[in-house]
Amino acid sequence: MSSDEFDPDIERLFARTPQMPDATLFAADVEARLASGSRVRTLALTTAGLIGGCIAVRESLNLNFSLAAAETPVAGRALGHSLQAAGANAGGAIQGAIEQMGLTDLSLGSMGGMQLFWLATGVLVALVAAGLVKLSQET
Amino acid sequence: MTKSLLDLHDVELAALAAAGGRREFGELARRHGSAVRALLRRMGAQPSEADDVAQDAFMTAFQRCAEFRGEGTFAAWVKRIAARQYLKRKSRDARYVAEIEVEEAAPQVDTPGLVDLDEALKALSETERLCVSLCHGAGMSHPEIAAAMNLPLGTVKSHVKRGLDKLRARLAPEPARYGQHRDGSIQGGRTAHVV
Repeated sequence: MSSDEFDPDIERLFARTPQMPDATLFAADVEARLASGSRVRTLALTTAGLIGGCIAVRESLNLNFSLAAAETPVAGRALGHSLQAAGANAGGAIQGAIEQMGLTDLSLGSMGGMQLFWLATGVLVALVAAGLVKLSQET
Repeated sequence: MTKSLLDLHDVELAALAAAGGRREFGELARRHGSAVRALLRRMGAQPSEADDVAQDAFMTAFQRCAEFRGEGTFAAWVKRIAARQYLKRKSRDARYVAEIEVEEAAPQVDTPGLVDLDEALKALSETERLCVSLCHGAGMSHPEIAAAMNLPLGTVKSHVKRGLDKLRARLAPEPARYGQHRDGSIQGGRTAHVV
């Protein structure tokens, strides 16, 4: 800072800021906003985790039971059939849950692994871009 | 035995806040909220607007707490965040941009006797007030202010100088104030009077 910029008396006056009477209230507001932001983030992460988990379970059930049907022709056929039925029921239930969440149009059942991968990648890229835009606005 | 929040230094609190400690950050907001709000008011923000911007600044500071290394004070760090956010908000309104060419008449404050800084700042134009507050309140250099306000460096320097001259005149003790010429120039060189 050059001598033109520095004035110790003015600096001291600016540095002297008495505690405002509502300082505690202000801090409480800040904490409340932090808590609220944390709740929203937790909710969003939980929802995303649940949706992701449902899709993962559904996909793995389909895969396991297809293999079970193909590889146990004699001894495990009865077991395989019952598991397949259970898998179909579970898959149907999960699909129903996904549909209830408003994701009917996604028709995830018809999507292949690579399609889901690219879909997830696209969503991640969009989230990162949105984050960068927000960050650039704040700085 | 664990230390209470009141016993912890700002740097310790900031480190705990960086790990997600909301209570620790609340303590930082309690300690430095008044200074940040006062700076924003000195920059020209209305009290409610100052509180909003200060809250936003503390939110940003919480998100970036890991970046605070304790090289300066925590208050100075948040003040700079708040000052930049206030400038951004103002630049959206594009109020101060129009003042670059046309120097508006500053309101006259005729308080008898000594006046405090907040009163004295009212004698400055809006841009002078911003430049002086950013320089002396938020600790920003002239080039930083020029970049933040999107003004030429020379313009910022002259705003700061004019603002400081007016502040010194306002804050000077009575004899020095009587030394002012009718055209507004100041006779004698006393700087600000610290009350």
